[in-house]
Amino acid sequence: MPDEPDLITRRRFLRTSVLGAALTWTIPVFLDRTFFALRAEAASSGLQTPTGRDHPILVVVQLAGGNDGLNTIVPFGRDAYYRARPTIGIPKQQVLSVDGLVGFNPALALLKSLYDSGHLAVIQGVGYPNPNRSHFVSTEIWQRASDAKGMVSQGWLGRYFDNCCQGADPTVGLTIGGQLPQAFNAENPTGVTLNRPNHLGFDREPDAFDQEAFEATNGLEHANMTGDSIGNLSGTSSSVLSPLEYLQRTALDVQVSSDQISAVLKRSKPEASYPPTRLGRSLSLIGRLIAGGLPTRVYYASQGGYDTHQGQIGTHHRLLDELAKAVAAFCSDLKAKGIFDRVLVMTFSEFGRRVAENASKGTDHGTAAPLFVCHTAGLVWEAARTGPPRRWRSRLQY
Amino acid sequence: MIARLPSRNWNFDTAAHLLVRAGFGGTPAEIDSLARQGMEAAVNSLLYGAPESVQPPSWAVPGSLRALQLEVRQTADPEEKRELKKQVQRRANEELSDLLHWWILRMTQTRAPLVENMTLFWHGHFATSADKVRQPHKTWLQNETFRAHALGNFGVLVKAISRDPAMMVWLDLVQSNKNKPNENFARELMELFTLGEGHYTENDVKESARAFTGYRIDPLTESFRFGAKQHDPALKTFLQKTGPWDGDQIIDIILAQPACTRFLVTKLWKYFAYDNPPPELVESLASQFRAAHYELRPLLETIFTSEEFYGNRAMNTQIKSPVQLVIQGSRSVGLPVLEGEYLRAGLRQLGQVPLYPPYVKGWEGGKSWINTATLTARYEFARQLVVGVNHRRLGLPRPPKPIPPLAEPPPKNERWPLGLAQNPSSGVMFTQPPPPRITAPLEISRLVTEKDRHQPEKAVRELFVRVFQTSPKPALMNEFQQLASTKGIPLDDPAIREIVALMMSTPHYQLC
Repeated sequence: MPDEPDLITRRRFLRTSVLGAALTWTIPVFLDRTFFALRAEAASSGLQTPTGRDHPILVVVQLAGGNDGLNTIVPFGRDAYYRARPTIGIPKQQVLSVDGLVGFNPALALLKSLYDSGHLAVIQGVGYPNPNRSHFVSTEIWQRASDAKGMVSQGWLGRYFDNCCQGADPTVGLTIGGQLPQAFNAENPTGVTLNRPNHLGFDREPDAFDQEAFEATNGLEHANMTGDSIGNLSGTSSSVLSPLEYLQRTALDVQVSSDQISAVLKRSKPEASYPPTRLGRSLSLIGRLIAGGLPTRVYYASQGGYDTHQGQIGTHHRLLDELAKAVAAFCSDLKAKGIFDRVLVMTFSEFGRRVAENASKGTDHGTAAPLFVCHTAGLVWEAARTGPPRRWRSRLQY
Repeated sequence: MIARLPSRNWNFDTAAHLLVRAGFGGTPAEIDSLARQGMEAAVNSLLYGAPESVQPPSWAVPGSLRALQLEVRQTADPEEKRELKKQVQRRANEELSDLLHWWILRMTQTRAPLVENMTLFWHGHFATSADKVRQPHKTWLQNETFRAHALGNFGVLVKAISRDPAMMVWLDLVQSNKNKPNENFARELMELFTLGEGHYTENDVKESARAFTGYRIDPLTESFRFGAKQHDPALKTFLQKTGPWDGDQIIDIILAQPACTRFLVTKLWKYFAYDNPPPELVESLASQFRAAHYELRPLLETIFTSEEFYGNRAMNTQIKSPVQLVIQGSRSVGLPVLEGEYLRAGLRQLGQVPLYPPYVKGWEGGKSWINTATLTARYEFARQLVVGVNHRRLGLPRPPKPIPPLAEPPPKNERWPLGLAQNPSSGVMFTQPPPPRITAPLEISRLVTEKDRHQPEKAVRELFVRVFQTSPKPALMNEFQQLASTKGIPLDDPAIREIVALMMSTPHYQLC
């Protein structure tokens, strides 16, 4: 694994080669200042940001809608479970038992094998104090890792970017989907979204003159423009970008990251067969980006549909099946690419669901739920025995 | 003391700045007229411009969804119940899309833009998401409450909001009773609405929560009702004052705190001028606001006539919110406004959907509007709106399936004084076919005269002023003049569209 100086060099390389690409002695003032402000930012953060090329990578998978924890990791050893769920309880004989008391939903067979081979951990009963049962509020609390008051304005990943990744490449955080999740909210917003891999970055103008005007007014091209020389600008080391500079930097980020991503996608292919689902496609794409050497440290993907108020059994089975197949494919893909040891996958959902089924053969909003963590190293099965079952008396414990 | 802008410094650019920040911008002719009127008249026209009376959406009557909801409750068959529940949800969704469109059109067409802008400000201040409220009528009602008090008295507004049904659902006041007071509203009241953190204790939260017990909503009229039996009339000690306080008295005690005026003027200054105003400025504005007993018009007048408001720190330094972007684009250049579900989806891609603030603190604003996704979306939307929207290209959802007509169609709405008659909402929305895949493009003949097509330099200069809402800036202007010189004479529609689209695809256009 390369050591720090190498990273600094790479950083410098990135900043001078990518942002200052065709840096000549004449560049427009705004680009120049952006460039200097960026340099100052990178230099002032004492520790250089490690990149995802040689440091651990986190992949977050959001299960949106509130996953039913009790039908995911099933406490089949408890009669109370079957009493509370006469029609939607997973029959004992179908559960993939872990310890005689709890086990995986049969749709999660592939995750169970990952668990058996020590690649998957289950953390039971993950929630937060004073749970809120609104999707909206609860998602927000998870995304910001704030308390139930929800008063923190930055996301938990955004705070990481702010504190540890200043001056990093914009692709330090990457979301598959149209919008950045609230978890990415930061003091100094960073991170990119990848919605349509075939449609990256700004459109190219068909007409050369139009393209030239676009690049010139966005500071993306500067060969034909005049401006001050670098030497005159030593005073501009402010680490705070003005709104205009910030916009210009973001335009550069779009250009740089889309160029980078398309280059990366050209040189890597999936090495496992993924299910043709949205999550499958997302994880396949993430696998290619990691293998291709994108410096991203945090990837974010999501799967929706977990709000199973009615007729839960079929829907929930399908969702878990999709999840298991996509995650298992992702793991074998990473293994085949020899990079599994650098990646950790975690799932989360805004809340679990209530213990008792409702009148429509579904479940209503609850509180805590199990969370999967997936990595090369064996991880512990901790809370499964000690966690939730004891607190079953109270109706809303999950 | 706050220095006024000397009248000799009043010009086209200051007038444009005023109109853009206080309203949502306008055509060069509108800016010119404000510039000629002089500052006092210009500011007064914004402060005292009367909003038109606009017919509410036809569904916006108390209990519009109630019949359906009752039916859900009374239906035993689970299959049927599910179907009905879906219908309720779909109706609510449709109504909220309609309300969003209704408001956006109102902002686009109103003759009293400051009222709409302040309505938007209050919406961000008392941020309430329709996502939790889930009852469109309540959301509409709150919107009207913001509008009614937009330029009125802050104290009166806070009291009105404490009784506002949407707010009461949003911050759980409806569940608060003397045995189990819910602290949610009491806490946000101080932290987010009036004082800011650090000006009250946990105990103040607990005590004031008791004062707000018994606030209920009448299910039939969907209006505030005081449930005396649920109210805790005992003594409370709040901010060092002891008495059998009720909710309004708690608000009065809060309003007497100097922190309250400081908190509010800081936020208003940020909204209209710039972030982190100097403490002396805050102090001057706050003491004036206090002396005026929280009347908003005198405060806004001081802001809009101050030299500082027209200084370098304020002019062209604000990143437009997605709403400003959409409304300004429409008011100044005539960009079309997306409809129905498309509007909501489009605003979501740009990063701000009114009626759905991301959380209780409202929108962060400033740099948080911009990331690689939203900047790309801004450029793409601008282009598509200029050349004609291809919905698929913008990644907007498929047209919704037509919804079966109601048994009894809602009354058709006849008076839309603002030309809102094109509004597909209100009355016809449930039977309206889905909007077309392509929204008509910007009308060029309204922007450039036949004569000017033969004088590209003049045409580009005028387009520049219209698009950027400022007199020409040489360096940037030069780029577009150069570009225009590569197009043929006379400038044809495609060439003009290209120039306008490129002007809007710049970092500069994102600022106002």
